[in-house]
Amino acid sequence: MLAIKDLDSYYADLQVLRGVSLHVEEGEVIALFGPNGHGKSTLLKAICGLQPPKRGSIQFKGEEIAGLPAHQIVERGLAYIPEERHLFTDMTVLENLYLGAYPRHARSAVKRNLEYVFHIFPRLAERRNQLCSTLSGGEARMVAIGRGLMSETSLLMVDEPSIGLSPGMKLAVFDAIRQIHQERNMTILIVEQEIQHALEMSNRIYLMKKGQIAFERKGEEIQVEEIEKAYF
Amino acid sequence: MENFVNALVSGLISGSLYAAMALGLTIIYGVSRVFNFGHGVIAVIGAYFTWYLLSNFGVPFLLATLLSMAFMALFGWLLYRFTINPLLKKPNWEFSTVLFMLGAGILLENVVLQIFGPRVKSIPLLAEGALKVAFIQINWHEILLIVIVLVAILALSLFFKYTRTGQAMRAVAQSVPGAQVVGINIEQIFGMTFALAFVVTGFSGILLGTKYYLNPHIGWEWMVKGFVIVTFGGLGSTSGAVVAALILGLVEAVATLYLGAIWVWPIWFVLFLIVLLLRPQGILGGRA
Repeated sequence: MLAIKDLDSYYADLQVLRGVSLHVEEGEVIALFGPNGHGKSTLLKAICGLQPPKRGSIQFKGEEIAGLPAHQIVERGLAYIPEERHLFTDMTVLENLYLGAYPRHARSAVKRNLEYVFHIFPRLAERRNQLCSTLSGGEARMVAIGRGLMSETSLLMVDEPSIGLSPGMKLAVFDAIRQIHQERNMTILIVEQEIQHALEMSNRIYLMKKGQIAFERKGEEIQVEEIEKAYF
Repeated sequence: MENFVNALVSGLISGSLYAAMALGLTIIYGVSRVFNFGHGVIAVIGAYFTWYLLSNFGVPFLLATLLSMAFMALFGWLLYRFTINPLLKKPNWEFSTVLFMLGAGILLENVVLQIFGPRVKSIPLLAEGALKVAFIQINWHEILLIVIVLVAILALSLFFKYTRTGQAMRAVAQSVPGAQVVGINIEQIFGMTFALAFVVTGFSGILLGTKYYLNPHIGWEWMVKGFVIVTFGGLGSTSGAVVAALILGLVEAVATLYLGAIWVWPIWFVLFLIVLLLRPQGILGGRA
């Protein structure tokens, strides 16, 4: 579904990604680990078009998308849930969710997707008319994920969904993501610092260090110690 | 008492015209963060275009206004597409767009001067006669102006609340990356915003041209008033601009009545400074 090859990306003159290659197959949950500041978020932003890469190829459903503007990538069915959430804070929960269905192909599915978001996050149904500036951190995270689901996406890229949340809320968010995967057979690429939680739901993992993929493991090859060691 | 009530009425009238005039400024800033230093001249161009159609071709007022709005939409979009858009991609776009629009304003002012000359023009009244209730007398024309402005503000707020494009404009105003991740084409929305703001601004120029006079330079005075209003009300806030315009219109009328017209600017700026000291984000502005 997603195939990335030899991706290089820069912040001004500083090279952040160095020849990153990875792939995500349909129906998989892939976790991307690695210390902070080593390029995980930059990789997601390069894929979704927020920060186009300098060199390399990103193929999504067989089409080259590297360097396309973000809105054209969303229209192809790839949703990115930013770590910073970037909600429309002066709008209600419902208005935010409706804007999630902005891409043309998502408009006919608005009703179904909205029901699904409320099924995953019943709390959002209760707060549908509340302004997003008044939500708690966990609720705002739910809106961000819900808004991504509204875009009728086939690949969900989630950047550190549990960051800054209480332990209980972290569990709720991970449960929701697992539920989305199981019920909709959603393909998911997740960046996370909560290694244990993310491991429980993933088929395969990549570890990123210094802008490169340090290693890839799947199924029984995955060892928590090996991942944790890579952080130091 | 009689004078005071009449001053309030006249303050309401000029306040609503100022509101119409400030809206275009705050819409552009709110969505694109570009501060349009050519704003006044844009209003003047809308007014001159209409005046030209009215006086040279005898086009009916309504049609002339519609043609002028279509022209302003195209003008706004082209100006964005070919000048502002490339400037926004530069690292110091905030400063370069201000200087560019200032320069464009001076250039356009002189284009208007070359084409139409320095003589004062005015757009005919929309209606004759006056409404008299007890000691209050209001011209029908001015009642019509207030109604038109109210309808325009209502139409704009419905547009922002219920249409797809309007919602996308609000989304971009609140978070550019948020708008990008939901699939909004930022450049397209910026272009539409410039088109919309130029339509609103040109329209306000027409209304101003029916109440006051027109010359190629009057735009700068309008623009300074617009700046005070949008900063007073909260940059980027449309409701703030409307409230601020009405307050300042009323202050202007009452100050003129009791102290004389020369006191209007000093009092405006004292109020302006007080608001900036107490609420730097403006009376209805969200963020500082």
